[in-house]
Amino acid sequence: MSASQSAVRSRAEAVKVSRTFDWLILFTLFFVVLGGYHIHYMLTGGDWDFWTDWKDRRLWVTVAPIVSITFPAAVQACLWWRYRLPFGAVVCVLGLLLGEWVNRYLNFWGWTYFPVNFCFPSNLMPGAIVLDVILMLGGSVTLTAVVGGLAYGLLFYPGNWPVIAPLHVPVEYNGMMMTLADLQGYHYVRTGTPEYIRMVEKGTLRTFGKDVAPVSAFFSGFVSIIIYFLWHFFGKWFAQTTFISSDDL
Amino acid sequence: MKLIKDKVAKLSFVALLITVTAAMFYVPTASAHGEKSQAAFMRMRTIHWFDMNWSKEEVAVNDTMTISGKFFVFQGWPETVDKPEISFLNVGIPGPVFIRAGSWVGGQLVPRSVSLELGETYEFKVLLKARRPGDWHVHSMMNVQGGGPIIGPGKWVTITGSMKDFVNPVTTLTGETINLETYNLENTYFWHALWYALGLAWLFYWARKPMFVPRSIAVEAGKADSLITSTDKKVALAFAVGTLVIVATSMGATNEKYPITTPLQAGLLRGMKPIEMPARTISVKVDDATYRVPGRAMQMTLTITNNGDSAVRLGEFNTAGVRFLDPAVSVDESGYPDDLLAEEGLTVSDNSPLAPGQSRTVQVTASDAAWEVYRLADLIYDPDSRFAGLLFFYDEAGNRQMITVDAPLIPSFI
Repeated sequence: MSASQSAVRSRAEAVKVSRTFDWLILFTLFFVVLGGYHIHYMLTGGDWDFWTDWKDRRLWVTVAPIVSITFPAAVQACLWWRYRLPFGAVVCVLGLLLGEWVNRYLNFWGWTYFPVNFCFPSNLMPGAIVLDVILMLGGSVTLTAVVGGLAYGLLFYPGNWPVIAPLHVPVEYNGMMMTLADLQGYHYVRTGTPEYIRMVEKGTLRTFGKDVAPVSAFFSGFVSIIIYFLWHFFGKWFAQTTFISSDDL
Repeated sequence: MKLIKDKVAKLSFVALLITVTAAMFYVPTASAHGEKSQAAFMRMRTIHWFDMNWSKEEVAVNDTMTISGKFFVFQGWPETVDKPEISFLNVGIPGPVFIRAGSWVGGQLVPRSVSLELGETYEFKVLLKARRPGDWHVHSMMNVQGGGPIIGPGKWVTITGSMKDFVNPVTTLTGETINLETYNLENTYFWHALWYALGLAWLFYWARKPMFVPRSIAVEAGKADSLITSTDKKVALAFAVGTLVIVATSMGATNEKYPITTPLQAGLLRGMKPIEMPARTISVKVDDATYRVPGRAMQMTLTITNNGDSAVRLGEFNTAGVRFLDPAVSVDESGYPDDLLAEEGLTVSDNSPLAPGQSRTVQVTASDAAWEVYRLADLIYDPDSRFAGLLFFYDEAGNRQMITVDAPLIPSFI
């Protein structure tokens, strides 16, 4: 067989090879994204995602969407502009959540015995689905960044509320009031995570009384818009093929 | 040549087998906390733990024990470590093998960070409930913001029983009693599984059709718009609307189920009540201090003046949790950890009772292997080569007086 001859001999064979490529690429993409996104999220979201006593209504709501919209924006740029595939955000979050669950279950619980109800990850899926759908229906980076980025920030807290609310039930403990999440942080000893490094309920957002979560979510959404633009262009830059000469193809 | 090569290969294989086998059979548990690695000056010049008591050496799962004692916040706190204005009373254990059922400083519950004053002595207590069986080294510990964890003395405690029997019942302010060990677990799994399934459904909707190669060719050929059909748009819309509906309804249902929720509690606790220490009637001046590296002994020349109304004798030198005792004056009856106790480690050139109004210059030697074992001798390599510790004097009635010492230390290598 010469170099100019095709490796496949029929259309059916070409389709079969193409599908094999599809699954190989999807599999590879999934695990590469899982690794990269997981490390990125652990380094930037870190404790806010690790522990329930960090999942507050101000900083967790603000930080988690901002630092987690990064990879979805970049992978969307590659998959959408190169292949018109609108699952960039969802595939990222699927990878991240799988990696996080493996980490939390095997490491946090399996090795160090922190109960899973204390160290489960945040849910990013609602925002990811909406982000993908907006890109697909709008076909515009600007629209996805502005509407999708804002929605990504806004959906984060309500998307997690069914899981986190039971842990915000108050309890009286030795004469002090705290939430069950606070009590988990107090009971399950972390020698390397003293209470004072917990960045919760800090800031000057006092005007809105107890309703600070929506304000934090809006702020998070606004910053997510900017981060989306930035990382979408990173993704586009990484997905370019200018370094491949057409003679090589 | 081939014979030699074959022999080397065979021997290498045997060596590898032995190594693997040895690794399989010898798997020691890493149970300590690196307390010996912490810079010596950190342990000697920050928090001095004393009168330590571990209420039990063996405890069953679900039973409780306490670590209690006192700590002195050293007034000669090193410049290189932030002051303990934001600190947290912790315990040094390998993960949550116990749960911290309570912790108090000066009688006040301290689930949050506290502010401590230099030169003050505080009483503390930590109540621990056994959770995971095993032999664990249990330390007192003070985390200081900008300073790191300052670990206190540790003692081995055995937990017996089975972790599956552990329960952590808590009654909420809404009147519900829950087991915090497993509370909300099924709910967490359910919502994560549901959203993961929705994400997979979205992914497989697209993955069931040809993906990368044909779509790339189509995009390159300018036919990108043909790749999204009207059915795709309807399905996408259904996913988006479905997502919003699930988020809204689940939030509403959660609010109905949990009408009373409060924000996480945070904030610094100030005004910790220190112990009223008796007025000091003894003064000690360190004339010089040397550490003899070959002898593993620290020698101090002290000028002691007794301004009280009872004769006193020096009974103990305590630094970094290591206690050097003069058995003629002081004997430990608290079950203090052996490795931290030099029962005959303190020698005083003249330890006869020092009468009121008298002053005497004595040579004090604190010697024990603990200097090396606990790497306190590494002090001589610290940037600020000073030592510090607590001296305990006893009068004729058995009353104790605590005096701090803080002075430069000169190493002696011969």
